[in-house]
Amino acid sequence: MKKFLAVIKREYVQRVRSKMFILATVMGPVMLALFTVLPAFIANINAGGPTRIAVVDESGRMYARFHETLNKKEEPSDESGQRRKSPAETINANQQDRLASSRNLAGGDFQVEQVSLEGRSLEDVKRELNSRIRQGQLDVYVVLPRDILEEGKAEYYGRNTGDVFTRGRLTDRLTRAVRDERLVDKHIAPEVVREINRPVTLQSTRISEAGEEKDSGAGFYLVFGMGFVIYLTILMYGQVILAAVIEEKETRIAEILFSSMRAFPLMMGKLIGVSLVALTQLVIWGLSFIALAIYGAGALSARGIPVSLPHMPPIVLVYFVLFFLLGYYIYSTIYALVGSMVTTAQEGGQMALPVVFLLVMAFYFVFPVIRSPNSSLAFWVSMFPFFAPITMLVRIVTETPPFWQIALSLGIGFATVALLTWLAARIYRIGMLMYGKRPTIPELWRWVRQS
Amino acid sequence: MENKSPTLVLERVTKSFGDFTAVKDMSLMVMAGRIFGLIGPNGAGKTTTIRMIVNITAPDSGTIKLFGEEINSSLQDRIGYLPEERGLYKKMRISEQLKFFAALKNVPGAQAGKLIDRWLARVELSEWKNKRAKELSKGMQQKIQFIAAVMHDPDLLILDEPFSGLDPVNVELLRDIVLELKAEGKTIIFSTHQMELAEKLCDDICMINKSEKVLDGSLREVKRGFGRNAVALRLEGGESVLADRSLVVKVDQDSDELEALLAPGVDAQELLNRLISSGARLSKFELVEPSLNDIFIEKVRRAA
Repeated sequence: MKKFLAVIKREYVQRVRSKMFILATVMGPVMLALFTVLPAFIANINAGGPTRIAVVDESGRMYARFHETLNKKEEPSDESGQRRKSPAETINANQQDRLASSRNLAGGDFQVEQVSLEGRSLEDVKRELNSRIRQGQLDVYVVLPRDILEEGKAEYYGRNTGDVFTRGRLTDRLTRAVRDERLVDKHIAPEVVREINRPVTLQSTRISEAGEEKDSGAGFYLVFGMGFVIYLTILMYGQVILAAVIEEKETRIAEILFSSMRAFPLMMGKLIGVSLVALTQLVIWGLSFIALAIYGAGALSARGIPVSLPHMPPIVLVYFVLFFLLGYYIYSTIYALVGSMVTTAQEGGQMALPVVFLLVMAFYFVFPVIRSPNSSLAFWVSMFPFFAPITMLVRIVTETPPFWQIALSLGIGFATVALLTWLAARIYRIGMLMYGKRPTIPELWRWVRQS
Repeated sequence: MENKSPTLVLERVTKSFGDFTAVKDMSLMVMAGRIFGLIGPNGAGKTTTIRMIVNITAPDSGTIKLFGEEINSSLQDRIGYLPEERGLYKKMRISEQLKFFAALKNVPGAQAGKLIDRWLARVELSEWKNKRAKELSKGMQQKIQFIAAVMHDPDLLILDEPFSGLDPVNVELLRDIVLELKAEGKTIIFSTHQMELAEKLCDDICMINKSEKVLDGSLREVKRGFGRNAVALRLEGGESVLADRSLVVKVDQDSDELEALLAPGVDAQELLNRLISSGARLSKFELVEPSLNDIFIEKVRRAA
């Protein structure tokens, strides 16, 4: 028992202290922060202060309306309205959405002046404005032609026409101003139209055993993220086990180890030690994710964007750990077995390919399972032990299946783990001391029967 | 100092891998407090025999008794084993590595630290304590592995080719330690294919070839039992004595000396007396012992 603990301790301490672990653990949340917070943050930076705009209003009636809409705080217009999106669509749209909202947040930073023609020709005025832009006294000027209401065209001049944000916003406001003027011409009050155009928001509520709960759509990311984290962690730590076993075989430390303890506690000690490393990493990631989510939600609501964090019952966390451990032990046992049979890391990589393939398949099943978590396909893939760790967890988070299904899936899974470790320990014991030729299946079978 | 109880007894031990019999019907006895040489060419079955002794593999048939008990995993703590193929964790610091190996032999952590310091000083590697294994030369690593085998004060120490690849100074260093351990009453099994090395170090030997024991016994007995009684001579005169076939069976002329093979039962002392009384002038008279190498070759040839 003491030796078993010594093996666990060695695996844990050596790995947790390694540079790779620290880097991966720290970089995980940092990358997450980088990809979520940073783009919004950077896009928010308005390096040049307010944009100075001159407006040349040939129509003589647009300026007041335009000035008013320009400096008004954003409200959802029908063009950029809060359309509900299907989850798949949301993945990519999400980034743009975030940019759009951050652009809105920065709104109102316009310094507008009206330039009247005062009898001068348009060309003269433009020449003067051009020189002001060149001297840096002005950023942009807009010419609103006489027939703007009919033609719907205006001219935009500026040094930096690549500033899509300013251009986009000007287009948006100008469109609104023009539309309002047109409505006035037709004797319709703009307020009435706005009232009519108010979009519908679909408020989704998830019904589960626990009752009803609001779901703002973030649930999808949660499910997907959990499946992905399990997939990635199993893949990563499976490779760690493979490398660890091959190291002991390659350096022939195995012989010293076997002369001090039995193969089974040795192998289990390694698996458990590395699983603790993985859990440590997951806990750190989990905590920083939660912290980030809470901070992020707080920051967003402070700026007027209401965000409701997906509510996650604590039991899901328990299931997450259980299914993670299930997946980890199923796959890492196979990795240990493979590692004991090969002689070099390269060979091990090749031999482990089918295992990786199984894992990747499990991950691909996430999509059909999310779409219809109660289909018979979802049922069967969540019972198959090599897929269950990912697929069953996805089912639990999307539409919790009856408890007996979860229990059955866990039962099958852990029975598989027991069988696999039994098999692996036998092959491991002999494989670790064999060099050169890779054993054939009949040979493996003889090893299993022999011990 | 000699203790007559056996530390280790193998009785008719056989081990095969598939069709290949690695060890066949092996019986041997290792006495406490002695250095026992397990000698044989590469592939003779030495490592397989050792692996069964340290309980890495189990024999197909036969029994192995260590310290009077059937071999089991709890006895592993009393064995120190330096395998022929050996390694260290490349990225692990030396002191941590040794602590881990100590823990695998049930040495309490507090004690392990002191033991490690003492042993590192003994093999002159104290300043490498906090280095990683990959920074050490091969010879240094070998000394670390040696520490891992001896630091838990095992009653039985098994060294498989312990000196291979070491420079003469370090060979001397490790040999001194081995002899010290012997003086402390430890039993040592020394496996090698280098006969000369075994000859210098071992009290008892067992020769194996092609999975089978060829002969065993104390070094002295083995040599005496080989039944070759020869004398190397450098002399003037005495030809008549050497021609006496009741005394000398055969004379071989080397470059500047003779080797006389004595008739069975003849004492070399008698030859010396006869030569002196015949008036021969001797500049060399030396009993020639057969080397283990000679014995091995002879034995294998006879068996074939």
